[in-house]
Amino acid sequence: MQEEVLLDSKVNSEVQLPLRGRVVRGKWLYRLMTFLVVFGPGLIVMEADNDAGAVSTYVQAGAQYGTRLLWLLLLLLPVTYFIQEMVVRLGIATGKGHAAMIYQRFGRWWGLFSLVDLQLVNFLTLVTEFAAISLALSHMNIAPRVGVPLTAVGLTVMVLTGSYRRWERVTVFLCLLDLAWVFLALKLRPSFGELFHNTLVPGIPSGGLTANLVFLIVATVGTTIAPWQLFFQQSCIADKRLRFSDLQWAQLDTFLGAVFTIVVAACMMVAGNAAKMHGITFSDPAQMANDLHLVSGEVVRSAILLLMINAAVLGTTAISLSSAWAYGEVKGWPHSLDMPVKKARGFYVTYVLCVGAAAAIVLIPGVPLQLIILGVQALAGIMLPSAIIFLQLLLNDKQVLGEQFTNKCWNNWVNWTIIIVLFVLSLILATQVAAPRLFPSN
Amino acid sequence: MTMLEVLRPTTVSEVPEDHFLVVHPLDDVRETKIDTSTLGTMPMTASVKLSLMTLRGYLILMMLLVLYHVLDLAGVFGQRAR
Repeated sequence: MQEEVLLDSKVNSEVQLPLRGRVVRGKWLYRLMTFLVVFGPGLIVMEADNDAGAVSTYVQAGAQYGTRLLWLLLLLLPVTYFIQEMVVRLGIATGKGHAAMIYQRFGRWWGLFSLVDLQLVNFLTLVTEFAAISLALSHMNIAPRVGVPLTAVGLTVMVLTGSYRRWERVTVFLCLLDLAWVFLALKLRPSFGELFHNTLVPGIPSGGLTANLVFLIVATVGTTIAPWQLFFQQSCIADKRLRFSDLQWAQLDTFLGAVFTIVVAACMMVAGNAAKMHGITFSDPAQMANDLHLVSGEVVRSAILLLMINAAVLGTTAISLSSAWAYGEVKGWPHSLDMPVKKARGFYVTYVLCVGAAAAIVLIPGVPLQLIILGVQALAGIMLPSAIIFLQLLLNDKQVLGEQFTNKCWNNWVNWTIIIVLFVLSLILATQVAAPRLFPSN
Repeated sequence: MTMLEVLRPTTVSEVPEDHFLVVHPLDDVRETKIDTSTLGTMPMTASVKLSLMTLRGYLILMMLLVLYHVLDLAGVFGQRAR
């Protein structure tokens, strides 16, 4: 049995005000309820990374190479978890955001460098989110000049309620809507034997290691693990005021979020594969949805367009918040979703400016969406190793974290391996850019 | 008893012996975290500092390369080399 209660100060001598809580009977129910109250930041940070750019990259990967790159997603599952798990520990231990920690521990120059990098990539990414919304809306016969501003207003209202919980509930709901990708993938009737094989057996698609394949692999890595995620989750954990005792549940939240995200990403690749099987070529997912409807029906078309908008909305709220939190932390402004607008003006204004400016840019005619998406993801892929290096240094900072929260030896081995692999990928990209003749074009 | 009745807030002064209390972090007493504001910057050896400086140069170079690649794909430099 469970009942919501208001506890007065007699329960805990430190409590000054009445405390809301739930009294439950039975340890398993207590654990479940505790997990549910902690649950949120992990799922959101992971699923919001399946944003419009990710939809585009994964369906392109599916369209070009079928399900041959599913193994890459499986490989990225532990990678994305290990990276975000470090952020969880850092956030819970310090109760501060990532930008604040870099400022405090690496000094003003690196703090500013990280912040500018973050804001630059975030803003460019936001432009791609709104470009995707605009594209999907136009395919749904809704004028972007009406739909895009309305979406921007909706995204603004979502955070202006002065309640972290309200924002979190809405965002978790939007994340769970992405389960529709699974139903969509099943409706497209993939070959399960092939899926299973291509997930478990790594291989290079026929045609070998071409420039396109390398760029797509770097873009896939860049979209699955993005620098804004580090900043977002740590700030989110700090804003939610997760406690030391919440660590294991926050880790579970992050793990489940990673699994959910990778499954959804795989389903996007399956959708791209379906287009390939039917000989459909496309430049963006909205066009794919349009062409697929001839063979798979109107439901598939509408679902892909709506899911594309949902992905962009999720990405926009998370990325804008990571910018607003980071800027607020560095400027020393009050920065919490649980604060009313009048008490955290700078924080909310930053969020609104990010959303508003990105939406406005997209309404300028002739934005090359696909090019910007691939470019931004490559840029994020390149910046990620350095962002993780700072994270790695912070997680070995015993002055800040003490013995309990610092990386164990195996953590360091795993993380340095990840950093080296990411650096190698970015060096391959650099070689590809500097000396394209070394790679066969197709 | 309906679900709404189960969830209806009530006021209690103590948690019964064999029950557990679940408190949302935002409703809980604010925890005292590790105070990082007085620590200053992280002590770093010269080699770590040099590595970070190298990283800085690397990042700037890579960002320029990506910019070049994107502009190249956009056809800003005319006919693509390959």
